[in-house]
Amino acid sequence: MEIKKEKAKILKKIKETKSLKELDEVFKEAQNEIKNFTQKLKKLSLKQRKKFGKEINELKEKLEKEYRAKKQVLQEKTKEKKEFFDVTAPGKKIELGSFHPITLVKNRAEEIFQSLGFEIILGPEIEDEWHNFDALNIPPDHPARDVLSLGKTFYLEEKKLMRSHTSSVQIRYMEKNNPPLKIVAPGKVFRKDAIDATHEIEFWQLEGLMVDKKISVANFKAIMEEFLKRFFEKEMKIRLRPSYFPFTEPSFEVDISCVICGGKGCQTCKESGWIEAGGAGMVHPQVFRNCKIDPKEWQGFAFGMGLTRLTMLKYKIPDIRYFHSGDLRFLKQF
Amino acid sequence: MIFSYNLLKSFFKKNFPKPKELAEILTMRAFECEEPQKVEEDFALNVDVLPNRPDCYFHFGLAREISAIIKKKAKVPKWRLKEEKKVKIENFIKITPQNIDRTICKRYCARVIFDVKIEESPKWLKDYLTVCGFLPINNVVDVTNFVMILLGQPLHAFDFEKIEGREIMVRWAKKEEKILTLDEEIYELDEKTAVISDKEKPIAIAGIKGGKESGISEKTEIVVIESANFEKSAILSSQGRLDLKTEASKRFEHGVSLSLAPFALDFAASLIQQIANGKVVKGKIDILFEKEKKRVVRFDSQKISEILGVEISERQQLKILKSLGFKKIKNKFLEIPEFREDIVEIEDLAEEVGRIYGLERIKGVFPKTTLTFSEKDPQILWEREIKDIFKSMGFTEVMNYSFLPERTIPLFGIPFEKVIRVKNPASFEFEFLRPTLLYRILENIKKNLPYFSEIKIFEIGKIFLKKEGKIIEKNSLGGAILGDKFFELKGYLDALLSKLGILDFWFDFYKPKSEILNSKVWNNIRCSEIKIGEDSIGILGEVSKEILEYFKIQNKVCVFEIDLEKLMEITKKEHEFKPYSFYPAIIRDVSIICPQKTLVDEIMQILENCGGENLVDVDLIDIYDIDEERKSLTFRLSFQHKERAIEPKEVEELMKKMFKEVEKNPYFEIRK
Repeated sequence: MEIKKEKAKILKKIKETKSLKELDEVFKEAQNEIKNFTQKLKKLSLKQRKKFGKEINELKEKLEKEYRAKKQVLQEKTKEKKEFFDVTAPGKKIELGSFHPITLVKNRAEEIFQSLGFEIILGPEIEDEWHNFDALNIPPDHPARDVLSLGKTFYLEEKKLMRSHTSSVQIRYMEKNNPPLKIVAPGKVFRKDAIDATHEIEFWQLEGLMVDKKISVANFKAIMEEFLKRFFEKEMKIRLRPSYFPFTEPSFEVDISCVICGGKGCQTCKESGWIEAGGAGMVHPQVFRNCKIDPKEWQGFAFGMGLTRLTMLKYKIPDIRYFHSGDLRFLKQF
Repeated sequence: MIFSYNLLKSFFKKNFPKPKELAEILTMRAFECEEPQKVEEDFALNVDVLPNRPDCYFHFGLAREISAIIKKKAKVPKWRLKEEKKVKIENFIKITPQNIDRTICKRYCARVIFDVKIEESPKWLKDYLTVCGFLPINNVVDVTNFVMILLGQPLHAFDFEKIEGREIMVRWAKKEEKILTLDEEIYELDEKTAVISDKEKPIAIAGIKGGKESGISEKTEIVVIESANFEKSAILSSQGRLDLKTEASKRFEHGVSLSLAPFALDFAASLIQQIANGKVVKGKIDILFEKEKKRVVRFDSQKISEILGVEISERQQLKILKSLGFKKIKNKFLEIPEFREDIVEIEDLAEEVGRIYGLERIKGVFPKTTLTFSEKDPQILWEREIKDIFKSMGFTEVMNYSFLPERTIPLFGIPFEKVIRVKNPASFEFEFLRPTLLYRILENIKKNLPYFSEIKIFEIGKIFLKKEGKIIEKNSLGGAILGDKFFELKGYLDALLSKLGILDFWFDFYKPKSEILNSKVWNNIRCSEIKIGEDSIGILGEVSKEILEYFKIQNKVCVFEIDLEKLMEITKKEHEFKPYSFYPAIIRDVSIICPQKTLVDEIMQILENCGGENLVDVDLIDIYDIDEERKSLTFRLSFQHKERAIEPKEVEELMKKMFKEVEKNPYFEIRK
């Protein structure tokens, strides 16, 4: 009996079938063939029966296995042809969490300054008059306590107050650390004001301080330009204008080229091409003396930037009141 | 402060910048200046003169500054005064040093002018005043105002006939004295308000405002012009007492040059002579208590270049400083112009040199500094990690006000002695510092209800309380989930604490004793205290009905608040890698029937104790109530051996041991 030959023939046929119908026909044919073999078996000797019987069984098993495998393949093929599958239907909705935009901007600012070698530090939100005013060269009868909107400070009992700027963190740090110093301090500040689209009673600032033997205005400009370039991911121009803060001398207003119009003039920059980004200056020698640092030996710059303002510029948020709104329609966009 | 372009221009001969150009020059070199506004033939310039530069609060001063910037000379105002030879001032009025209080007044000058014809001012004078925002009144008053905006010296004109006893004094007022001022307001005075008085009564509030009675009227014929210099402290005291500020008092508050008084007086007298036909009495009163000292500052061109970070030659620096009125004296010292009280040390000179040189000409240069190591406050890392975890669990971060209205304090059952009141709140909505994050978080939930069916929010921020009378602020972590989702929220906190590497946290039953938020906030049954070891770090629970009703929230809400500082303190330990088995695990489910009141934790403890180290995980996967008395708990047990594949036989033995242990309790039964 030529079982082996038959086996090869059957397997080849199965392999070549192209439809389920054809496959079934081949399968039936093969089963009949096997039946034939079995009937022939009866006429053989016991020894031969044993030998061929085994081969027939093997063929049977092999046939069924191949048949099933091929059937599956063919079934899937037909399925693919018939099934309608709409990939344009929406995916399963996944509720992602999100950070507050201030957190995003704060994190980014911290990363940039850290990569420039600045240490990130924090300070308390409840302050005393020394750290918020006196040490910063703003004595009680100083007109600046009024003029610099610092007259808008919230007072608490025990002569404590809510810090009206993050400059207080500078003082706390300089009191405890010797130069050289390179720090930034992000934080919330509080000022009494009427809340509207551009005014808040609570907003975020980023304070920076760099002190060494020969830190200059030119150095401040370079650091600031580098920060802004990385933050806005494009070349940014900055412009210093003379200003006055009791805790810096010389003092400047820091303007940045308008991020909306690129300096051509638009509504945001009031057609000037420039946007006020914060105040800066060289640390006033009296501030150094107040922190027991010798101004003859050390010099450096300090700056305060509006983090809330940067966030508004970065994401083009038109109204400052969104930040405290707790409105998920706003918050989930970030 | 508003300036007249034409008046500024009058100080210069030619080539004075156009209004717009002038505004730009001022903005970049001295003071921010808004776009010039055309007013008839003139332009009004709104210049934001910096508070440390009172020497530029007037036209001559600003012209002086412009002169240094544009490098052109500004003319010093000149006048011609003709005194009447026959009548002497002593014959009219008595003003003696004894009657001038030195704590109020540094210098007191006065002149008397008679035969004055009070009428409307000439057009040129009215125009200047109008541009600068002053209302023209009459020729004499207009001259005093004009001299103030021109030279910076506030003046006052009295009607001589109304000065009782022909005597002028400067003194602190007495209690119960009153004055009716020029604008018809009555002010009650006291020992903290400084006045000018005659023999009987106050005739002006010193340096702030004149009295109505002694003011100039149409009938006035003899005028006394006062040109005085008052102490800042006296002005501040009166201003504060009366809650009154005027153009004059603002100038005194910032400081007026001491040498100016007689100069401005003569200038005013000459003008009155010119436009009101007045005759000036011979002589003037000039009582001066202290002389202005010459002040010097050390000049070091190298240091200035180092501060600015740009090399500017000594010659150029000196040229700039001289144009600002500094004089070079011996060695390395400069004499400071007497009107520049803001200049004290070298840094001040650097500012002057820098801005006149041009700040835009300083190019950015990276610093050469000592290598320092940049670190982050550990609190920042900690906060970031927590925020990351919450975000990954689908929570949205909120940031709320640190202030709360008063009504929230009793609502949350917080005793008033534990909260901090703001003395000068922005409004009653913001009167107290928040002792918990939860009030605003519930407000957030309420606000978002109309738009979202699923809400998961969290916040990290400072809370403020009083402990034993002391004010403290601490970092807090709060959050909420909308719906009857206690166990979901518990699961999130579980995930948070595990992710932070904390091993021994657990959830205890809530006992109403918590420090700040008392039991009013919580549904006392569905509420748990979060603990690490024996320390309580926060609370998790369903919000009480009462609070939900207050917010008009119909759904259930679960919230939590965790003391971040405590959490940080306890978990400063290192987060270490824990080795795990590489061999396959065998999973078995087991259901246990127990009384309704049995704690899941009790059974889990039994299973874990019996399972030993090969039982690597036990999870509760199902609870169902069989009847009122009994419930069935289904646990999924995961067995694994550290060094080899665990045998099914071993697992069966462990299970048998567990069953035996569980069934030691006659109320527990293993479902088979």
